[in-house]
Amino acid sequence: MLWISGAALAFFVTAGAFLMLANLGTGPSEKNLTPEPPPAESGPALVLTLNQERLESLRALPGQELEVGVRNAGDEDLSGVNLTVEVSSENTALSDARYYRDNVNELPAGNSVPVRFYLDLSTYESPMSSNPSSSAVPEPPRKIIEVRATTPEGASAIKTAIVPI
Amino acid sequence: MSWLCAALLAATVLLVVGCMHHPDQGTSIPPLPAAGEQVDPGLGPEARPLSSGPGYKGSPSWSPRGDRIAFTVDGYVVDRPVGTGDTRRWTTRDFVAEDAEWISKDDLAIFGATPGAVPAGEASRSVYRARSGEGSLGVKEVATGVLAMSPSPGGEGLIIAAEMEPYESELALLRDSGAVDRIYTGVVRGRVTGLSLSPDGRKAVLATRTAGDLNSFELHVFDLRVGTHRRLARLEEGTEILGAPQWTKRGICYVVGKEGMSIGGGAEPLYDLYTITQGSDSPEPTPGVGEDFVASSIRASPDGERLAVVGRLNPKAPINLYVLDLATQNLEDLTVNEDMEIKTGPDDLAWSPDGESIAIVARGALSEEPRVRAAPKGALLEDFYNLYEIPVEGRGAAR
Repeated sequence: MLWISGAALAFFVTAGAFLMLANLGTGPSEKNLTPEPPPAESGPALVLTLNQERLESLRALPGQELEVGVRNAGDEDLSGVNLTVEVSSENTALSDARYYRDNVNELPAGNSVPVRFYLDLSTYESPMSSNPSSSAVPEPPRKIIEVRATTPEGASAIKTAIVPI
Repeated sequence: MSWLCAALLAATVLLVVGCMHHPDQGTSIPPLPAAGEQVDPGLGPEARPLSSGPGYKGSPSWSPRGDRIAFTVDGYVVDRPVGTGDTRRWTTRDFVAEDAEWISKDDLAIFGATPGAVPAGEASRSVYRARSGEGSLGVKEVATGVLAMSPSPGGEGLIIAAEMEPYESELALLRDSGAVDRIYTGVVRGRVTGLSLSPDGRKAVLATRTAGDLNSFELHVFDLRVGTHRRLARLEEGTEILGAPQWTKRGICYVVGKEGMSIGGGAEPLYDLYTITQGSDSPEPTPGVGEDFVASSIRASPDGERLAVVGRLNPKAPINLYVLDLATQNLEDLTVNEDMEIKTGPDDLAWSPDGESIAIVARGALSEEPRVRAAPKGALLEDFYNLYEIPVEGRGAAR
């Protein structure tokens, strides 16, 4: 009986010692890791807006007015904003892209300015009916208006409108 | 003895305290979103886009190694790596391709027409061969008067049905070298609307419109080695076969519908899935899909044991991609359609060579209102028809 108790005692003492050593070596316990939030945007930030009602009024004709809202949402003034508008067809077999450019000279932080483009949204010279790809696409293609804005400070923004006209 | 008991008690307490769960330890860590995480386009979390941007896309085809996928965009043909990489164009933009299939790792067979030779309606097309790495977009016409084509089971070469006379066709094999060999000496009666080869490549099943009666469809099996053929089935007048019949290890599956019948008065026809099992001459509704199932397009898996089906569980259910295990008759849905339009053309789905994925073509529901996205057009997914890889979970790997 005595040797059994001694053996048990030796086991518990040894196990306890190992546990104490293990706890001593860990230092501060682990903390909950939470996902890091995405880095907050700093400096110049551009925001483009396309007026939905204006988009709905567009027709497949020349001289269609597109108003692009350009806002400096950053905390630094922008020395200039370069704007490019590309109008193309949803049908990628057609080489009918048209490009328009404009620029805003200065845009203080927190300010916004409307920029108007007059787009030719008419069908390109080669009508769809005579283009071979029209037989491969059983539905009329939509217009795609892609607006890009860049600044010398490195800010950029992009908006793409898909217009069923 | 009492000191011994006290010591044992102390040791026990020490052990219990040591093993106690520390409140700050072992807390589960919320997973961080992985960089480049999978985008759920509205087909379920497993869907992975294989293309992006505008263009009317269709007819996906995996390369024999499964590392690239070819497809048509607005009539021309492109391919791209299944992972990351640039899209490669195979034809000029004014080409009108309806289907493209790999006949080797470097060659595509393209079913369609060159500019200026675009046929209308059901007129025959040509098959062109295009090779990668030749530095030009030239294609070579290798067969004319082609009514239908189907890849060989091993992905090397393909079988074509070419029209000789009105309602008379011949069968030929387009080899990966580009050579075209007639493989069936007899004449195929009727107008071929679809065909596929048996898993061993020795027989072909053809869907034909019978001569003199445009509303009558028949199924024929041709033994390419012996040179014999027999009629498997003749459909009721007013019914049609959609796409190519599929030869599986459990029989021949095909989609039949009544012309003019549609879902809710719409333009989409009601199609049923039928199977003619081996040793039987009578078609029966394919077991496993349910009597209300509406099939649109089907494709047999590379091992011939499963059938990919784009369809609806019932006429009011959304279109989804299903895989039917023909042995167990188990129907598994692979997509969870959330207001997406899955293309239902007969060539708009394709199995990967290893049978572990299926490519489909889908887009978000069309809107009459303009849509504005904060992304370049080339990165947009659901606004246009795009290709998606749908994994067939574990089923291909298990075989």
